[in-house]
Amino acid sequence: MSTAVEVDDLSFAHTGADLPALERVSFRVSAGESVALLGPSGAGKTTLLALLDGRLQGWSGRVSVLGAPLDPDRPPPSARRPDTGFVFQEFALVERSSVLRNVLNGRLGRMSPLRALLGSPTKHDLEIARTALADCGIADLAERRVDSLSGGQRQRVAIARCLAQEPRLILADEPVSNLDPARACEILALLTGAARTRGATALFSSHQPDLARRFAQRIIGMRDGRIVFDVPTSELNDDATAELYREVGPIPGIGLRAVS
Amino acid sequence: MAFRGFGGIATSGLIAAAILWSFATTDVEFSRLLSAGPRIADFFGRMFPPDPTVMAEIKKGSAETLRIAILGTLGAVILSVPLGILASETMVSPAVFRPIRTLLAFIRAIPLILVAMLMVGAVGLGPLPGIIAVAFHATGMLAKFYAEAIDGVSRAPIAALESAGAGPLVRLRYAIWPQMAPVVARDTIFRFELNLRESLILGIVGAGGIGFYIQTYVRSFQYDKAASVTIAVVVMVIAIEAINVALRRRFT
Ligand SMILES: Nc1ncnc2c1ncn2[C@@H]1O[C@H](COP(=O)(O)OP(=O)(O)OP(=O)(O)O)[C@@H](O)[C@H]1O
Ligand SMILES: [Mg+2]
Repeated sequence: MSTAVEVDDLSFAHTGADLPALERVSFRVSAGESVALLGPSGAGKTTLLALLDGRLQGWSGRVSVLGAPLDPDRPPPSARRPDTGFVFQEFALVERSSVLRNVLNGRLGRMSPLRALLGSPTKHDLEIARTALADCGIADLAERRVDSLSGGQRQRVAIARCLAQEPRLILADEPVSNLDPARACEILALLTGAARTRGATALFSSHQPDLARRFAQRIIGMRDGRIVFDVPTSELNDDATAELYREVGPIPGIGLRAVS
Repeated sequence: MAFRGFGGIATSGLIAAAILWSFATTDVEFSRLLSAGPRIADFFGRMFPPDPTVMAEIKKGSAETLRIAILGTLGAVILSVPLGILASETMVSPAVFRPIRTLLAFIRAIPLILVAMLMVGAVGLGPLPGIIAVAFHATGMLAKFYAEAIDGVSRAPIAALESAGAGPLVRLRYAIWPQMAPVVARDTIFRFELNLRESLILGIVGAGGIGFYIQTYVRSFQYDKAASVTIAVVVMVIAIEAINVALRRRFT
């Protein structure tokens, strides 16, 4: 089976941060797999996903995405960017634009720059956008402005935009953190299902171990920038997750317990 | 509250001293105030009834004022687009936006009427000095507003488009512009309203527009005609404001 993501001895610190956000991280994800990243706030999930998306530079180690190595000092060439789709934690939609416009924005990297600038999507682009909308169950919202939608609807638009991009790797940063439990299940089912039917790989982060178990084949636990465990879903036990989310000990001299 | 403790007492003392000083050194005499009443009554008496025969002058003057405001605003927009970009912290480095912002603050500090007088001296009487003065004066505010509109844009959608493989110009068109367009529209309409109000009086210094007639009629003691023009100005200001409120509601 081919490899979608290969990370070897990856370390990274944000500019101005004292501690590294990622420390000696190594793992691989096979093509077509659905993998969940679990870990408390500040574990480094967003950092890792953004780095795989080619948006962070200045790291050390070896990273290759969809068979091509990433350059630690340079963003990937724009021709390769559409192959990796990203679902953002806070949706990252253009609020004043229509749902369809936002979904078409996902196709901008697939169009010629001139066509993209002139704003004339081809029939093919429109068809793909409409299919993505239908797959996400929001075909009837196409003409609505995003700022009139609920959180769950916005998340569907964000996923539809990602699908319209036709990515081979889908990176999703806490795609269900803003949703109620029922909605969260629907969205994760949608995301992992769409990835499967399209033959794409999915790597998503979450704070909810039970949801990760339901929708991922493999679970990677992170804490303080390190990988704590990396196991098939069937082998994940409650002790490991409890350990992952355990409280930090009392902070000396403050007397408060910081909960991560 | 700021009025507390020693600092508060000092502040109160300073304000009292400033008021007393102003009274003592200005020729505020009550006898003059008392004799003003009949004079004002006489003044109003001569204004009524307003002379309706100056309709042609009103039309000509208003049209010219409107043209000054439109072209002055256009000039300000043309100047403010590049200056606004250069004054925004998201588009350029502090080494660029700091001096540009200082320059804009300096422009804002110069009163329009002063610029207009200088321009009349430089290019002669008529609407042209008015247009130049309005364009210059309005740029100080409009460029600042445009810079704030750029800086107020949410970053996340820009990153999303970058992630999808869109280049910088495409990101500007689909992620930045849709977010700032309503702000730019509202700010420009707001500035246009100010330009129109302020250019009503430009004629007084010979920089064109309806103000010219007020000045002419007052100087020649034709108060009834001056009254008609003044009424026209008031009506225009109210109309502008009403149109503006309606327009601004559309851009939210
Ligand atoms: N732009 C930044 N500049 C400096 N430090 C940052 C920046 N972004 C994140 N960090 C730091 O990097 C570490 C990892 O953050 P990251 O956002 O990746 O965590 P996370 O696992 O996604 O957390 P959450 O579950 O809250 O989203 C944290 O210590 C955070 O403070
Ligand atoms: Mg995060």
